[in-house]
This record gives sequence, structure tokens and C-alpha cells, in this order.
Amino acid sequence: MLKKIILIFLLTIINSYAVQEQNIQKTMDSKIKKVLQVLQNKNLSLKQKEKQSIRIMDSVFDYKKMAQISLGRKWKTLSSKEKSQFASAFEKKIKHSYVDKLRLYNNQRVIIKKLKKTKKNRISLESTIIGKSDTYDVVYQFYKRANKNDWYIYDVRLSGVSIVQTYRKQFSDFLKTKSFKQLLKSL
Amino acid sequence: MQHVAIFFMLILVAFSGCSQSTTPQPSPQKNELSLIETETENNSDVEKISDTEDEIDDDNDGFEEEFSTEKTETHSDPLSGYNRSMTNFNDKVYTYALNPVAEAYAYVIPQPFRIGLSNFIKNLNFPVRLVNNLLQGKMQNVSDETGRFLANSTIGLLGVMDPATSYLHIPAHVEDFGQTLGYYGVGTGFHIVLPFLGPSNLRDLAGISVDAYASPLINIRGLERYKIPKNWVESMGIVAIHMINKTSLNLGQYESIKKDALDLYPFLRDIYEQKRVSDIAE
Repeated sequence: MLKKIILIFLLTIINSYAVQEQNIQKTMDSKIKKVLQVLQNKNLSLKQKEKQSIRIMDSVFDYKKMAQISLGRKWKTLSSKEKSQFASAFEKKIKHSYVDKLRLYNNQRVIIKKLKKTKKNRISLESTIIGKSDTYDVVYQFYKRANKNDWYIYDVRLSGVSIVQTYRKQFSDFLKTKSFKQLLKSL
Repeated sequence: MQHVAIFFMLILVAFSGCSQSTTPQPSPQKNELSLIETETENNSDVEKISDTEDEIDDDNDGFEEEFSTEKTETHSDPLSGYNRSMTNFNDKVYTYALNPVAEAYAYVIPQPFRIGLSNFIKNLNFPVRLVNNLLQGKMQNVSDETGRFLANSTIGLLGVMDPATSYLHIPAHVEDFGQTLGYYGVGTGFHIVLPFLGPSNLRDLAGISVDAYASPLINIRGLERYKIPKNWVESMGIVAIHMINKTSLNLGQYESIKKDALDLYPFLRDIYEQKRVSDIAE
């Protein structure tokens, strides 16, 4: 009995660990459905909703990669301590922003449209958020880790606007006049 | 003790399972890939090389190229001083006028009515979308948009409802003259923040002026018969109502986006230009 429980426990861990190519659409579909269920659940407080939504989505996002891309060439000049400091600050910022957007949720529907393999190690998953008066395109960008079949999200495009690109631009503008320490602080 | 041993065994098996996923398996996915690889021997060699490159350049992965700043590097911004203060002005207008008015309006007017008004205005702007889809030679879009207009104007009670989206599932294709110019390779020109209307650029400003001719909602001298407003005051009124109505349906959105900005003006400028690039590419 105990063996079974442990096995099931481990299997669920592995499942939430990374997404494989053939499962991307299925996984994202179920994750998005779960988030919508959480958001529609009237018994949960706002805080609980936020926590649970983040927990559902966490395993597919590669926050460190997002942090790295958004910092661009500057990343290589950082010490490993600075890298991890920046990555965790960035992760907090992204999560905070995501949670903030969730607050705007007003019974919109989400439809996953299609999966496109743009390169050997890139996949984009197109979805649409259908609200009462407007629709928005959301594209999840996945990349494959070298030599693994594990796929992670490295960027999200909202109506054609790349989150990572936008941060990248902002950070590079910021660093033109200010120091890395100040950037870390402002995050 | 036995359980602990089993536990460790399981962990080992589980995590080796993780890495095993990379070894060739007879899954259909892999078969497809291997077919492609064996089809052209030379190509597979090239792929192998790039694979090893990926390994070495692990923290790059081609992302630097993908997100190269050239794509978003803003061209000269001669109006940056003016743009900055206009962004500030618009922000104040939003915070102290538009948003409170829209909130009050949303409180008084029920949402279905506001959505109806939004649909109605969108439907009236059909000529703008028609002309620009035509100019870009996007015939499928032309037929979609025409179908939407016919359906929404009839079953949709003069465009108040949107049965084209909800029942017929005909996608909308919003195109304006700025996009048409972009489609034919016209550059953006420098960025201009318009009072009340927000970010724009030289090309899109020209686009707005041209679209005004096609839109029945903007009064233009000599075209009064075709236009709904009889003078520019009425045009302004329609634009203002449209803005308030739109804001009332998206309360909190601007604030939420604004929170992501380190510096508001370049942030909004960048978002706008990125969005336009993607709109034109559609």
C-alpha cells in the first residue's frame, strides 16, 4: 500500500516537473482549465486564487531563462551570486505582474488554437482570450532544453507584445544611465 | 528500513526516468524525426553540429539573436521631450478624468448596454476595415468582414449584438490605414504621443487621417451626407463617448499594465510599436 502511495506521489512529481513535446498542448489545456476553475471558484479568497494559479503554472515556466534573456548581454558579466539575485527578483516581479493581471479576470473564456513548431527547439502555442467585448491573442513560447525532451516557457506574447522583449528593452534603457544594483533595487 | 530502501530506489528510478526520455524511444514523434533525419544524411550532420553548439552555448541558445535589439531599437526619437510630457498629461487625464468618469458611467449603465454600444460603434466602422483589407488584397478577410457586417447589422440588431462572433464564429480582422502603409513597407517614422489618444507614430497618424474619410463617425467637410456627426463637435462627442465606454469595459487594465513599467513613456512606446509590428504581420 505504502509503495503504491509513494509511487503515485513520485509520478505526480515527475509529471509536474517538465513538459514533453507531445504533451505541450494537453498539459497547457489542462493547466489553463485548472486556473480558470480556480478563478471562477467563489469559495476561494483572492490570495488563495493567486497562490493556486501560480502553483499550477509554475512548473512550465523557466523564470531563470526569462530573467537571463531579458537582461541580454549584461547577464554574462554578472557573478553567479548576482545572477541568482537578479533571477529571483525577476521571478517575483513576473509573478506579481501575472497575479495582478489575474485580478482583471471577468469570466473570459480561453481557447487554445494551435501549436506551431517554429524551430527544432522552439514551439509556440497560440491561444485566444475571449471576453465580452474584446478578444486577445496570447502566445506561449516554449523552448527545448539542450539534449532533453523537456520544454519550458521562455516568453509570453500578449496581443503581439512580448513580455520578455519589453523587459529587455526596459532593462537596457535603465542600465544605460543607472547601475545593476539600482536595477535590482527597483525590481 | 525496507521502506526507506524502496523509497530511494524509486527516487533513483524516477529521476533516471526523467533523463531517459532523451534516449530514442519508439514513440511516433521520434519516428517522424528520425525519418526526416535519415532522408538527408547531410542535413543530419549539420543538425548534429548545431546540437553540440547548443550544448556549448547553453546560456545563449539562440535567444540573443531572437531578441536582438535591432528589431525593437527605436529609431530616432526627436520628440522625446514632448512625448514624455504628453504621456504624463495623458496619464493624468486618465487618472483624474477618464477613469473616474468611466467608473461612474459603469456604475450607472449596465454592462450589456455598454457592450452593445461598443459593438454598435465597431460595426459602424466596417468601411475602414473593408477598405484596408481590400487595399492589402486580403480577400478572405474582406469576405469575413463583409459577412460579419451583414450578420451583425441584421440579426445583430444594427450591430448592437455580435452574433458573427458568438454564433457564426467569423473572426474579425481589424485593419487600418497605418497597417496598410506598414504592409507595403512604409516605415513608422518617429514616435508621437497624441493628446488623449495616446501613443502613435508618423505613419499611423497619417493612417488615422486617411481612415477618418472612410469612417462614418468622423465628420469631414464635403462628405456630410455619408457621415453621422454633422460637425466636428459631434465627432468629438462620439469619440469621447466611445473612449469612456471602452474604458468602462476595461477598468483596471491600464493601471495593471502601468505597474510593469520602470519608466512609463518608453514602456508605452515600446508596447505600442511591438503591437503594431505584430498587427501588420497578421
